Amino acid sequence: MSGWLAGIGGAVMTGARHVGRAGILAAATFGAVLRPREYRREAFVQAKKIGIDSLPLVLLVAALSGSILAQQSGYQFTEIPLWVVGNTVAAGMLTELAPLLSAIIMAGRVGSGIGAELGTMKVTNQIDALRTLGRDPVTELVAPRVVAGAVMMLPIVIFANIVGIWSGWLSAIALLPMTTHEYVYGVQNYYHAASLIFSLVKGFFFGITITFTACYVGLQAEGGAAGVGRTATNAVVSIIVLIMMLDVFLAPLYKAFQ
Amino acid sequence: MIEIRDLRKVLNGKAVLDGVDLDIHEGMSLVIMGPSGTGKSVLLKHIVGLFDPDRGEILVEGMSVPRAGGKEIKEIRSKISYVFQNAALFDSLTAGQNIQLGLPEEHCRRVPALDDPLVREAIEHVNLGHEVLRLMPAELSGGMQKRVAIARAIVGKQKYILYDEPTTGLDPVNANVINRLIARLQGEIGATSIIVTHDVESAFYLGDRIVLLANGRVQASGSPDELRESRDPIVQDFLHPKLETEEFDG
Repeated sequence: MSGWLAGIGGAVMTGARHVGRAGILAAATFGAVLRPREYRREAFVQAKKIGIDSLPLVLLVAALSGSILAQQSGYQFTEIPLWVVGNTVAAGMLTELAPLLSAIIMAGRVGSGIGAELGTMKVTNQIDALRTLGRDPVTELVAPRVVAGAVMMLPIVIFANIVGIWSGWLSAIALLPMTTHEYVYGVQNYYHAASLIFSLVKGFFFGITITFTACYVGLQAEGGAAGVGRTATNAVVSIIVLIMMLDVFLAPLYKAFQ
Repeated sequence: MIEIRDLRKVLNGKAVLDGVDLDIHEGMSLVIMGPSGTGKSVLLKHIVGLFDPDRGEILVEGMSVPRAGGKEIKEIRSKISYVFQNAALFDSLTAGQNIQLGLPEEHCRRVPALDDPLVREAIEHVNLGHEVLRLMPAELSGGMQKRVAIARAIVGKQKYILYDEPTTGLDPVNANVINRLIARLQGEIGATSIIVTHDVESAFYLGDRIVLLANGRVQASGSPDELRESRDPIVQDFLHPKLETEEFDG
């Protein structure tokens, strides 16, 4: 019993320590982000790595999810008009699937990459070397990645929405007894500017969460190659859990502003 | 001058440094040696503020390292360069860009590394050709990586150069090349060198003064000759290690 309690106490202490360290890093990152001149060049490099290089995979997953959504809703809604399929695909993509699935893909691709890269830098003394060279690791490494992640998630989410709704249309007219006119009517029936803004707001915060968490976990790495491996895994798991938690909190916000 | 007073640091429950006192005068070549795990690298990291001491003081030209704020620590670090044990070159940058990091940020933004005369001078100092400047660290041998790291340390012409196990992981030929390079640079640029090593041969070759750390303290200190003649059993054990052999029955 006492061992069990000690375990819980230890976990709470570890959690509190991480929250404190992450808070300090967040404050330093916020301060560094306000000095774009110092990291502008690296931010462009990261924007390509985080955004443009991730786009094909994100769009493939968006196309598949739009198609699945159209087919499943078409098969389920037998008693109601089929234009609802367009409505469902637009609602599903804009409010959840485009930002969330893009974020999960980015967590696997970008989050693990940043975690492993910074983790390797930490265990091979490159972070210490930066400090001794009078450079600030937060300005050099964290700020450009966080800014690139936040900014590049916006076009990624926009493209994911477009491709998802387009693939939903393709599946609907190919596999369901409905016309383009019905599908477009359904999409228009759902669409309102707030839903697109909500989609982008989610993408923006997910972008920050992915890159910041990956940087934080990477900078905590210890212990050689095995430590770097653990860091990459921890980065992906932490990002996915945090994104899902953030999504839960953002949903009521959307309802409030609708 | 660097002054270290009553320095204590506990890591993982063990007092790695326990009351270290040391004066490092300008222009000298000080070698800190001792068995693995005696806090040699930890001591170096305290000098540049990578570790905070649990007790004690470190003064670099009168400025307290543990009490330095952001601006002061930057000023202290601008006087010191550090050669890490594993070279610690940045994988994503070329050798030239790595060397240029030893110069102020404003300078790096203005001048491309390949055309930088200071970078070219530094790579010549370590006996490497200009073609190396274009290569990535992964394309360099261990010995070349160390030399690029030394070029990065000398490019800014800092007053103090800290070498953390500069020959570890190198074959004897390359280790000898690095030792001769450090000795030559000491003569050419006149910086104060602090060299951490557990290699006795390197220590006696490089040091004007040698400090032996043991059990978290300065066990012995003096010129190479004074250390050779020391009757302290710990010093003699370190300088002339005996290989213990076990005898097997039948």
